[in-house]
Amino acid sequence: MSKRSVDAVFQGLYLLTDIRGMLRDTVPYHQLSVEQKKEAEKILGKLEKQIAILKEELLA
Amino acid sequence: MNCGEGIDTRQIDELFINLDPIQAGGRLTTDAMKAVLAYGDGYSVCDHCTKPFRLDHISKPPLAEFHRDLASFLNMDVARLVPGARRGFQAVASALVKPGDPVLLTAYSHYTEFLSVEQSRGMAFEIPADDSHIITPDGAAARIEEVIKTTGKTPALMFIEQVDYQYGNQHPVSDLIKVAHQYDIPVLCNGAYTIGIMDVNGKELGADFLVGSGHKSMAAPAPSGVLATTSEWAETVFRTTGIKGDLTGRTFGVKEVEMMGCTLMGVTSVGMMASFPHVKRRVKEFDAQVQYVNRIVDALLTIEGTKVQSEYPRKHTLTRMNTTDSFDTVARTHKKKGFFLTSALRERGISGILAGSTRVWKFNSYGITSEQADYIAESFIEIAEKEGLACSR
Repeated sequence: MSKRSVDAVFQGLYLLTDIRGMLRDTVPYHQLSVEQKKEAEKILGKLEKQIAILKEELLA
Repeated sequence: MNCGEGIDTRQIDELFINLDPIQAGGRLTTDAMKAVLAYGDGYSVCDHCTKPFRLDHISKPPLAEFHRDLASFLNMDVARLVPGARRGFQAVASALVKPGDPVLLTAYSHYTEFLSVEQSRGMAFEIPADDSHIITPDGAAARIEEVIKTTGKTPALMFIEQVDYQYGNQHPVSDLIKVAHQYDIPVLCNGAYTIGIMDVNGKELGADFLVGSGHKSMAAPAPSGVLATTSEWAETVFRTTGIKGDLTGRTFGVKEVEMMGCTLMGVTSVGMMASFPHVKRRVKEFDAQVQYVNRIVDALLTIEGTKVQSEYPRKHTLTRMNTTDSFDTVARTHKKKGFFLTSALRERGISGILAGSTRVWKFNSYGITSEQADYIAESFIEIAEKEGLACSR
């Protein structure tokens, strides 16, 4: 059992859900404010980390 | 893009400002969407269910605490989760109404309130609305007197809507309840359009039963809702089972009869619970939502011939418009006929109004931002001007 990979899947899904929430908040044109862009950048950075963990756990 | 064989991925709320009259208040919060991901499996809240084996006793996830919090949020004594407001109506009617009992409803009662009376074999009597589409205490008193006189019985229950689904009007619930209580008639207040978006105080209203809808106004998945009551009525509506199998001798613990045992055993209750902290905050911000809807209605009223059929200025975001003398005049000659309006809105990223409607239609702007309110208002005027309608802005 790789608890680390399961955690990474959920963490990744939650981060994507935060992006989904941002898309919902900014309909219909999804023009993000400066703060929202910073937040999106932060979320995407965290998401990349989770994907790296998954690669490490599942593909190594 | 499919999310299952033949099942398209729904992206309405990611792509459009959704003004659907019944969907606005049930749009999930981000936390509820996360809860859906983690608790989508069937009996997902039952991992740690121990004696006495009932939903409102489960402490992990914290459903027991959630039930207490819900009661306190509504200022009632006891609350239970139900699979939609309709199941709350059904539970109360089943507990209080006997065959042949008269039951009072209103001219704006939801059909499921009627069905709950029918299922209990009661007789339905409606309280009429006045010319402003409001259910008044005088109207209620007159109808109670009439029902008692004609049936020889005091109504077993009265249903009233805090905000109705047809006009989105606010009715004088507290005064209506005072009238009913003068005749010892218990009252169920239907808060499907209020609980979760406005501050609702059950004791202040004097309600014996408060029913809310999770999927309509509490940012929760369907079917979900809440039934709250006072300690006076809790034992009646939440009576526990006493039945015994005649061969096996089996009994069924503390399962509640009107609830049919446990109610929301998975994603619905956890989704509702995940949104709850946001719901508690957002009810305090309802005034801003009322400002936004009035901004939209004001813009619509600048289009010559447009009328608002709901009470105005608006006190709620659910609103009924009449554009028979404005947008419908365009529909008569437009190549898209009645569909031109919803099509033009959709082109602008706005959805949720019944396709083809250009006469009487409803929208619910709950949950939008100030910028989105301006954008919607401007879009209606832009469409009207493009189609040659006179606007007085």
